[in-house]
Amino acid sequence: MASLNLQRNLLWIAVALAVWAALPFLVPRNIADLLVFTGIYTIAGLGIGLLLGHCGIVNLAQATFYGLGAYASAYCTVMMGWPSITGFLVGAVISMALAYVIGRPILRLTGYFLALGTLALSAIASALFFEWDWLTGGTLGIGGIPKLDLLGFVLDRPSRYYFFVWIVAFACMWAAHNLVDSRSGLMLRAMRDSSTAAAALSVDLQSLRTRVFVVCALFGSLAGSLFAHHVSFVSTQSFTVDRSITFLLIPVIGGATSIPGIVVGALFITFLPELLSKLGDVHQILFGLALVAVVVLMPDGLMGAWDRFRARLVARGGSDA
Amino acid sequence: MTLSLILQAIFAGVTNGIVYALVGMGLSAIFKGSRVINAMQGEFAVIGAMTTVLLLTKSGWPYPAAIAGGALAGALVGAFIEVAFVRYMALKNASEDSFLLLTIGLALTLSASVLFFIGRDGHLLPPIGGEGVVLVLDAVIQLHALWLVAIGIGATLALRAFFHRTTVGLSMMAASIDADGAATTGINVGRMRTYTFVLGGLLGALGGILVTPLISVDYTLGLNLTLKGFAAAVLGGLTNPLGAAVGGVTLGLVESLAIIGISSSYKDVVAFSVLIVIMILMPNGILGRAGRRGG
Repeated sequence: MASLNLQRNLLWIAVALAVWAALPFLVPRNIADLLVFTGIYTIAGLGIGLLLGHCGIVNLAQATFYGLGAYASAYCTVMMGWPSITGFLVGAVISMALAYVIGRPILRLTGYFLALGTLALSAIASALFFEWDWLTGGTLGIGGIPKLDLLGFVLDRPSRYYFFVWIVAFACMWAAHNLVDSRSGLMLRAMRDSSTAAAALSVDLQSLRTRVFVVCALFGSLAGSLFAHHVSFVSTQSFTVDRSITFLLIPVIGGATSIPGIVVGALFITFLPELLSKLGDVHQILFGLALVAVVVLMPDGLMGAWDRFRARLVARGGSDA
Repeated sequence: MTLSLILQAIFAGVTNGIVYALVGMGLSAIFKGSRVINAMQGEFAVIGAMTTVLLLTKSGWPYPAAIAGGALAGALVGAFIEVAFVRYMALKNASEDSFLLLTIGLALTLSASVLFFIGRDGHLLPPIGGEGVVLVLDAVIQLHALWLVAIGIGATLALRAFFHRTTVGLSMMAASIDADGAATTGINVGRMRTYTFVLGGLLGALGGILVTPLISVDYTLGLNLTLKGFAAAVLGGLTNPLGAAVGGVTLGLVESLAIIGISSSYKDVVAFSVLIVIMILMPNGILGRAGRRGG
């Protein structure tokens, strides 16, 4: 029975991989473009999912790190003429350093106060991105960011960039999975469910929370750099508080504790507005209503609703037999 | 830096601060009564102000009646949200995060609705008390700002009296402190929660109506006011609506005095940095009574 299950799982994985590899060639260019965004949002959402699902922390500052990654890539490649990899590295180092320095004091807050602290951070960063136009180009932005070049293979089409972004996304998902599965993951869950008990078992709550926050910032910055190389133009409008809220919705809609749930959330965030926009200007209202419906009707996110649906099917199948 | 400049800044700070205070008091009343962080509190201000604008310009109502209509619209939307969504989710024991997300979703819906039905344009209301100005030591103060301050202080005192003197207010306090105990003494806890949202909607709408002669109202105003109102409420200790009044005025003063020292474009940077520092250093709010732990 176990081997049968294993075989079935392997089959599912093979099918999923085949669909994933064939997808960019089967769909029109604008859909491939959205799939690239789904990958980028998955990376950014993963960090928030780790904080929300495993530490109980609402992070409303991800647009800050997303912006830092994007501006680092833009500045290093366009203004300095350095190779693209430097942009990724500079963004990651600055984001992680900032997350560490700011995370240390802010993460002492709990609950809503922490949510507000991160929201304030996002508001500050968004104002600074706007004011420091010598660095960010302000509202005019920085254009002409080159496409990524992988060993002479230019990723200039959505279908090519798709593979690169998703391989990075899978690597991040694997890293997140390992983190959750590790000793740190156990400590995280202990901390989320009862911080007093965890502290009594000599779990260093402060440094653990800070570490996850730094990982979250790293994912955010990585996603930002990928975004900059995809759209080749960055400006302040992409890194506002609204964007931070959108990022938070990804794990919430999909289900914060589930890593596949993050992908589902990212698909929801990228595809639903696009589908609804065919209905005209009313689409933003419908998106808001769809979000309310998900929150009210599916409190554990889409993945949670799916799990319960499957559990019900299994229960029914069992009673039939 | 002259005295009149400082005076001008202080007065502008108090004026803005009272608007933040009204939004924050509504937010804090709702949190106290239902443990819901209302991320659409600023949208109540937009609803109140927009309804007043429409009643005044499209339906030709007299100004005081239009203001009453706008405030009523805020209260009705508040009641609707409690009855339609919060009640159902509370029955299902929804987590605090999902209430926060519900209100974020509602805020997105409302701001998109304003954009769709009313458009991008900003709207202004005529100043209450006429266009006149008052000179205090060379500082120019609009007559409207004086009215705003007076109404804001009046609303704060009325709220205090409501919570301490009236049966409904005391029942709301009881229901929020100990729901089971309140239910035992015959208080309808669910209805008290509805009243809490009515109160929150009313205060938010009032803040929006009072600020609209100074800042034009459009579909983006809600988020900004929510942020400032939330900050005001947290500074005051979150569960204390009157603390939110103190928090709002503090925030307004910090913002406007920062403009004297630094460039005006860094207003939000200073306001939010001060907010973070106060949250970390004064974990019980400026008044230091209610607990800081948020959830």
